[in-house]
Amino acid sequence: MSRPAHRRPEYHKINKDLFVLTYGALVAQLCKDYEKDEDVNKYLDKMGYGIGTRLVEDFLARSCVRRCHSYSEIIDIIAQVAFKMYLGITPSVTCNNSSRTEFSLILDKNPLVEFVEELPAGRSSLCYCNLLCGIIRGALEMVHLAADVTFLQDTLKGDRVTEIGITFLKKLDEKKYRRKK
Amino acid sequence: MAVCVAVIAKENYPLYIRSIPTENELKFHYMVHTSLDVVDEKISAMGKALVDQRELYLGLLYPTEDYKMFRKLHNSYTDVMCNPFYNPGDRIHSRAFDSMVTSMMIQVC
Repeated sequence: MSRPAHRRPEYHKINKDLFVLTYGALVAQLCKDYEKDEDVNKYLDKMGYGIGTRLVEDFLARSCVRRCHSYSEIIDIIAQVAFKMYLGITPSVTCNNSSRTEFSLILDKNPLVEFVEELPAGRSSLCYCNLLCGIIRGALEMVHLAADVTFLQDTLKGDRVTEIGITFLKKLDEKKYRRKK
Repeated sequence: MAVCVAVIAKENYPLYIRSIPTENELKFHYMVHTSLDVVDEKISAMGKALVDQRELYLGLLYPTEDYKMFRKLHNSYTDVMCNPFYNPGDRIHSRAFDSMVTSMMIQVC
């Protein structure tokens, strides 16, 4: 019995406004539920992590990317394939250290903040798009890569662009090997 | 083209009101109040008709060609409503909305 080797069927496009408004409602509700910005950021990251661990399967099924051999290849795929597929944008990539474990994704345009003019008063440390950080972190973990993902720049905080910093930590596989010894 | 712009909530209080020149502000506030009555009249005259974008306009209270202005205002208003941190019923403090209103009012002088 041979399985057809086609990709998953094309996804149905949904209205972007509906998606952006849904995300906004999520953040607004979290802000009502938690007084501290750190808590809202933490829960956004946690939710994103749950999404990322699942989304990566969908991504790998749809995109048929080849196996990557370096961290920069992985970051390029996240920027040029994944972001394009799910958010319709292609951030640019920079490498921040010589050992090529720290990278940044620079977003000129961020569709999630389209209707948010500025952070409300008293919410200056809110990372509005922190869900994205959790998603990237969760997705990487499912392919056995541990990474720290945070916002380094944010247009809602007055910066010119939005910058997501991704720092690869030790591979989870390696840790397992060491314990088995 | 505009000397006064006002956005009124359905509970009849202003969410946003601005006029130039600023001396006659009270006169404009009264005008806005009386125009609310005309709006009510028009709505009850329409009966159960389906409300679409054009009819939201109510054909303006004066016959002039300000439909473009209304559309700009309405689009900016929907942008304000889409802000997840804006609660319907709050006063409108959006900077983008302010600058759009300024651009409409500057044309008077």
